[in-house]
Amino acid sequence: MPRRFVFWPASVAICLSFTFPLPVLAKDELVLAIGGEPDQGYDPLLGWGQYGHPLFQSTLLVRRADLSSKPDLATAWSLSDDRLTWTLELRDDVRFSDGSPLTATDVAFTFNQAAKAGGRADLSVLQHARALDDRHVRLTLKEPRITFVESFYTLGIVPAAGRDNGYHDSYGRQPLGSGPYQLVEWQEGEQLIVERNPYFHGPTPAFERLVFLFTGEDTTLAAANAGRLDVAAVPPALAGQPPTGMYPLEMETVDNRGILFPMHPDDGERRGTGAPIGNDVTADPAIRHAINLALDREMLVEVALHGHGRPAYGPADGLPWSNPEDQIEDANPEAAIALLEDADWRLGDNGLRHKNGQTARFRLTYPASDSTRQMLAEVVAAMLTPLGIEAQPTGRHWDEIEREALHRDAILFGWGSHSPQEIYYLYHSQHAGQAFYNAGDYANATVDDYLDAAQQAASFEDSLSLWQKAQWDGETGYGMRGDAAWAWLVNLEHVYYVDECLDLGELPIAPHGHGWPLTASLLDWQWECD
Amino acid sequence: MGMRLIARFTARCGRLLLVLAAVAVAAFSLIQASPIDPVDAYLGPQVAQVSPEQRTLIAERWGFDDPAAVQFVKWARNLANGELGWSHVYNAPVSDIIASRFRASLSLLAIAWLGSTLLGFALGVIAGSHEGSLADRLIRLYSYTLASTPIFWLAIAVLLLFSVGLGWTPVCCASPPGMLRADVDWLTRLHHLLLPALTLSLLGVAQIALHTRARMLELMRSDIALYALAQGATRRDIAWRHGARHACLPALTLALASLGELFGGSILVEQVFAYPGLGQATVEAGLRSDIPLLLAIALFTTLFVSLGNAFADLLYRWVDPRLREEVRP
Amino acid sequence: MMPSVTATLRFDNRRLRTLLIALATLLALGLVLTGSALLGEQATRPDFQARLLPPGIDHWFGTDTLGRDLFSRTIEGLSLSLWVGLLAAGLGTLVALVLAVISTLGRPFDAAVGLLVDMILGLPHLVLLILIAFALGGGTQAVIVAVALTHWPRLTRLLRAELLQIINADYVRLSYHFGKSHGFVLFHHVLPHLMPQCLVGFLLLFPHAILHEAALTFLGFGLTPGQPAIGVLLAESLRYLSAGHWWLGVFPGLGLLLTVLIFDRLGASMQALFTPREAQT
Repeated sequence: MPRRFVFWPASVAICLSFTFPLPVLAKDELVLAIGGEPDQGYDPLLGWGQYGHPLFQSTLLVRRADLSSKPDLATAWSLSDDRLTWTLELRDDVRFSDGSPLTATDVAFTFNQAAKAGGRADLSVLQHARALDDRHVRLTLKEPRITFVESFYTLGIVPAAGRDNGYHDSYGRQPLGSGPYQLVEWQEGEQLIVERNPYFHGPTPAFERLVFLFTGEDTTLAAANAGRLDVAAVPPALAGQPPTGMYPLEMETVDNRGILFPMHPDDGERRGTGAPIGNDVTADPAIRHAINLALDREMLVEVALHGHGRPAYGPADGLPWSNPEDQIEDANPEAAIALLEDADWRLGDNGLRHKNGQTARFRLTYPASDSTRQMLAEVVAAMLTPLGIEAQPTGRHWDEIEREALHRDAILFGWGSHSPQEIYYLYHSQHAGQAFYNAGDYANATVDDYLDAAQQAASFEDSLSLWQKAQWDGETGYGMRGDAAWAWLVNLEHVYYVDECLDLGELPIAPHGHGWPLTASLLDWQWECD
Repeated sequence: MGMRLIARFTARCGRLLLVLAAVAVAAFSLIQASPIDPVDAYLGPQVAQVSPEQRTLIAERWGFDDPAAVQFVKWARNLANGELGWSHVYNAPVSDIIASRFRASLSLLAIAWLGSTLLGFALGVIAGSHEGSLADRLIRLYSYTLASTPIFWLAIAVLLLFSVGLGWTPVCCASPPGMLRADVDWLTRLHHLLLPALTLSLLGVAQIALHTRARMLELMRSDIALYALAQGATRRDIAWRHGARHACLPALTLALASLGELFGGSILVEQVFAYPGLGQATVEAGLRSDIPLLLAIALFTTLFVSLGNAFADLLYRWVDPRLREEVRP
Repeated sequence: MMPSVTATLRFDNRRLRTLLIALATLLALGLVLTGSALLGEQATRPDFQARLLPPGIDHWFGTDTLGRDLFSRTIEGLSLSLWVGLLAAGLGTLVALVLAVISTLGRPFDAAVGLLVDMILGLPHLVLLILIAFALGGGTQAVIVAVALTHWPRLTRLLRAELLQIINADYVRLSYHFGKSHGFVLFHHVLPHLMPQCLVGFLLLFPHAILHEAALTFLGFGLTPGQPAIGVLLAESLRYLSAGHWWLGVFPGLGLLLTVLIFDRLGASMQALFTPREAQT
């Protein structure tokens, strides 16, 4: 009996393997496992398309690989002198995938609806959007905010609710847009199958059909090894030898990890939430500068990221709004020790430094569910020991971090966005102590001024130099040479295994979030073999 | 007689409703007690990419803000109208999600349930009819070991062996990549179900095998067996003629009563095999604070398991009429 | 029902075997608990030069992604799991006992407890565990409370039946006749007789408690990844298995299996010793 039991599945499996159609090899279909399934569906109003290509919809503008702008739906755009009104002109030949035309009404509807949808797309600064005629739309803001342009690149346009085929509650499962592809079937939790949209206004994509598998990391790897995938996202920890016929593709990112320092001493104060504020050790700039100096970021990349990453010196390394001059010679414990000595932090018997009865010790808190951050915290702690600084790696749940640690411990965060709005949230005193934003209560009036001036710039290009100055203007700034409000550690690298025949074109620096950002270059993908 | 049956039936139904109501209240209060911020859970990794104003908007839109009592009354009123609410994780009506997810889980559960009952029963009969033999020892060892094995670990092991190592079964999902659901034939579907269902069925085998074995021992030591042996019947004859009949209803009872364990196992198995069933939705709902979905799943599974328990109970009384006030260990 | 009666009837190898198993269990328990104390923090310190080593002489079970010795991690994890299991099973037994006593106080109490039992048995264990762990926000305490609050119903039913029997026994009635208070009777006559049942119940609960702790942690509701619980080790290992690092999953899993198996057998043989009738099922 037991013997029969063991053998029948085997024989069934062997029989079955003959009945399966192998994946079609005439390459008009790609199978990708890059994760990123949006559980809520493909609804831009709820946040679909924030990263990478929205696939089903198109946006007003698109980014080139160097992050400069290129027109898509909009052919011309201008900002009024009071920085409150955007006026955009639209192409007149755009059609939804059912053949009906896309007009300014749809654009206005999309923006208005997204502003009140309460999803992940944040348009709270929008006053209202109005269609001037079929081809012109006017967007009015509540206050000047240059980073509003982010929505031009990310917000996919949906058909207005008023039309026959318009937006409705279950749009996320039946998306209709003017993007390069249209939905064939979404098997939730498993895969998404899409085909070319015959009415697409841009260049015809090289592949008729795309299949996105939503498998877990390990399953993805197994499937890639079995030769079933054309593109597979691989966690850096597992990226070793790629399967035969595939090459490893490393995508640079600003998906960064860094340490936030509480900037104020502990006065026994508490937030409205009851969370305690302040840390006597990290409030001392000497400690923060010493940590920034001593850390060996190359080593961090090597150990914690298995070599798949690059050192991080700021929140947006390599993006046009980060300041390349905010640079230091790190991995330099001697300089760090000298700096601590100058600041009167003296080495005690227990191997730790002291100053005014204060021991150089603080908790380095990380969200317990994240093994990369755990590893970073452990390695950072090991690197600080020779300095006489004890960082105690502490893993906690997010809610516990919010209740206990957020404004009191040094915290290992991860950010990285394609919009400088994030800089504003992280460093403007207006957001000091607001939940996760500027949790360390960083405040510098000069930095505030630069950030505000940037938001009021006449164009996005004009704002760039102001963002840079907020980081380091030669005298002060939020960066390492200035207040060193953070110790940025590493930028992750997203690793993919890609079929040797597949050319993915030029890829931009990716934001936070593994997987979908790869589709940014979707329209340039080519099959090189035949 | 008929009247009595009807009375018993109504009492059962009343009891079930009471239990469901109790579960609803308990589950709701438990969820309300959670310290997890629903807006954070909703935003996930994008937690810092929205403004404070947007957070307020999100809380308003999905009703995270209302006081607990208001939320409960709203929810209960909708429930009375047959509406289970709207899931924010899946952005769809909860009833749709439960229907489609349960359909996927049902085949898994059914195969696993049948498999474990039949296999457990067969092993139990073999072990019980040959007490002390090698087969008996092996089967007992197997059952004890299995009862102590974490099911998710077992699932990982068989996945590695059969899907990754040997390549006999697919590594995940309910259908092959790129194939439309309508094109998937039942053989393909079965192929994808095979490994998860087998793993899940192993979970229930041990208990049923041991229980059946005990019943068989009882029989083999009884006068019936002695009499049959005296008449020249072999042990095997006795086992399958009398024993099987003697032990099959208790085994079935036990199998019905362990639907809860089975569903619990399916949560873990679906997680490992990336199988898009109700179990996976339970984990998502829990991790991401999807209150209406979590509540509905709690109620739905209670209904499912309680029905199993009720059937088991009826069956038990029917098998053993001596039992009126039952005491089961 | 009294142990002494059973024992005289069957003072053969059953008792001896139980004793042996109990000794083995204690030994294993002692080893794991003292082992983790002896190993100390030193043993599980990360060593970045020795990451992901396969099992060998220096590291019997190999090392993990941070270069920590997996053997020490497994022992540590087992000891944590044992503590969690002990506390959870102990609490669960206590809950069962208290509810069983309450249910004998009168009809409405009995009905209330009956409803509670039906409710807990109606919800799949894991769903209820998830609910409770969610309500408490995860973490060690959450797991202990969740496991304790879900595993009592069967034991409660058993104890209740036992209690009813004892309360109706002649010597208990006599005690009431002598004017002893309810509390006095409870503590002097009733509870002592329930102790064997409670012990067996506790021992049978224990393996379940450990397994459910691991499952809950595996799903992400339980102990945090920073803690070296077995469930955490196994959940982590899942990522590395398909890359060929099999030892990360195999050894902690085997450790857990053996621990659970030992306690399961101990519980079963104790049960056979104290209550031969129930031991059959």
